[in-house]
Amino acid sequence: MAFRPDYLVRETGQNLFRNPSLSIATILTVAVSLSLMGAALLVSQGVEQINNRFKDEVEFIVWMDIDVTQEQLESVDNILQDSPFVKRLSFVDRDQTFSDFQEFFADEPEILELVEADQLPTSFSVVPQDANVEYIRALGTEIEKESGVEEVQFADENIKAISSFSRGSSQIMLFAALASAVAAALLMYNSIRTAVFARRREIEVMRLVGATKWFIRIPFMLEGLLQGLIGAFLSIFAVFGLNKAFDSFFGDLDSFVFRDFAVPSTDVLFIGGFLMLVGAFLGALGAGVAVTRYLDA
Amino acid sequence: MIKLESVSKAYPGQATPALTEADADIAKGEFVFLVGPSGSGKSTFLRLLNKQEEPDAGRIFVAGKDIAQMSSWKVPMLRRNIGSVFQDFKLLPAKTVAENVAFALEVIGRPRGVVRKQVPAICELVGLGDKMTKYPDQLSGGEQQRVSIARAFVNRPLILLADEPTGNLDPQTSIGIMRLLDRINKTGTTVVMASHDRGIVDTMRKRVIELSNGVIVRDQDRGVYE
Repeated sequence: MAFRPDYLVRETGQNLFRNPSLSIATILTVAVSLSLMGAALLVSQGVEQINNRFKDEVEFIVWMDIDVTQEQLESVDNILQDSPFVKRLSFVDRDQTFSDFQEFFADEPEILELVEADQLPTSFSVVPQDANVEYIRALGTEIEKESGVEEVQFADENIKAISSFSRGSSQIMLFAALASAVAAALLMYNSIRTAVFARRREIEVMRLVGATKWFIRIPFMLEGLLQGLIGAFLSIFAVFGLNKAFDSFFGDLDSFVFRDFAVPSTDVLFIGGFLMLVGAFLGALGAGVAVTRYLDA
Repeated sequence: MIKLESVSKAYPGQATPALTEADADIAKGEFVFLVGPSGSGKSTFLRLLNKQEEPDAGRIFVAGKDIAQMSSWKVPMLRRNIGSVFQDFKLLPAKTVAENVAFALEVIGRPRGVVRKQVPAICELVGLGDKMTKYPDQLSGGEQQRVSIARAFVNRPLILLADEPTGNLDPQTSIGIMRLLDRINKTGTTVVMASHDRGIVDTMRKRVIELSNGVIVRDQDRGVYE
C-alpha cells in the first residue's frame, strides 16, 4: 500500500471540492453538533466551578465580637477544642479576614478603602464530626450563648441546595454532551455516506484493478478528518461566544452564586482542543465506516 | 492458468443455480469464448475468477493458486493480475482518457515514472494516442471501450476477462475491438470473453465454452456459436 503523497493530496483535495455543497453541509453539521457538545461541556464546567466553591467542608462559622477580649477568645477556643463533636477547628485572625476581604472585593476598590483591618471581626471556622443538620444547629446554638460571640453563621441551606442541584445538572450536561457527540457521529456518517455513494463507481473501479481496501479508505478518512477538523474549528467560535455571553449575562445578574459561571479562557481553549479531537476522530471514523460498506465486492 | 473443479454457485432467492458443477481448464495464452443466452451463467463464471463472487462448492485455481481458499486481503494482489472489461465500460466521467488509464496504475501504488511512461504507450496501442486529453463523453462507444481495455491491460495482467465487451457496440466497431483483444492475446495474455454475439464468435474461431442454465454443455476448440 505504497501511497504517493501527491496522489493522496490530490484525491483528498478533489473529494473536498468536487461536491462543495455536500462538503459544506458536512462541515456545518459537524460544527452544529460539536457546538452543542461544547455548550454542554461549558455548562457542565461552569456548574462544576460553582460546585467546587461551595463544596468546602466549613459547616459553620463562629464570628466573634470586634472588641472581643483575649479571655473570651480562649474560652470559646477551649470549648470548641474540648468538644468531642468538633472534627476540625481553625481560627481566622484579623489579618487573614482582611486579606480574604481584599480578595473578595478585589474588583471594588471603593469598598476596600472604607475598611481597615481592625474593623473586622475574628472568627472560628468549625467542621463538625457529623454532617447532620439538627446536630450542627444544636452545637452552634450552644456556642452562640458564650460571651464575646457575635454570631454563629450556618452554611447556607440555599447553598447546599444549589450544590446538590449542580451535582445533578453536571451529570445531565455530561449526558447531553455525550448525546450530541453521538448525534454528530451519526449525522457525519450519513453525509459522508452520501459522498461515498456519489463515488461508488470510482470505488468499484479501484476494487477491480486491485487497490487495497486501506488505499481506498484512507483518502475518504482524510477527507472526513479534515471536514471534522474544520467543523470543530467553527464550533470553537460558538463556544467562545457562548462563554462570553455567560460572562456578561451572569456578571450583570450580580448573583453571588452564579458569579463564577463563565469559565476562564484557558478552560474554553481546553474544551476547543477536545472538540477538535472529537471532530477529527468522528470524521475519520464516520468516513471509514461509510466507505467500508462499498468495499465488499 | 485457470482451472475450475466442479464449481457450483447459486444466488439466494433464485430458483435455478447460476452455475452447476462446472469444470474447465484454460491454458496460458488461450482465447476462450463463453457463450450462451442471458442468465446462462457466463457472467458468474467470470465474476468467480477474480473473486467478485465466492463459489458455493468446488475449487478454482488461477495462476496456480486456489482462490477459494484465498484470504480477502490477498484479493487485490489477485486482481492486479486480472484485467476486466465490461459491456458498460465503467469509465470515470470526471477523468480524461489518460487519467482513467493512469488511475489503474496509481491506485496500486505504481511510481510516477512508470505511470508517465506506460500510459501514453498503452493509449497508443489501443489507437487513442491523439485522444488522451478527451473526456469519456467526448468519445464514441468504441473509443470508450478502447479506453477501458487500455485500463485493464496497462498493468500487463496475465488474464483479461471481458464481459460482453461488444454488447453496446455496432458490428463494425465490434470488429475493431475484437482485433484489439486478439492483439492483446497474442502478447501471451489469456483472454476469457463472454459474448452472445454469434457473428464475432463464428468469425474468430477460438475455443468456445457454452453454458446453458448454469451447466457447461459444450467445450470445443476452434468452435462456433452453436
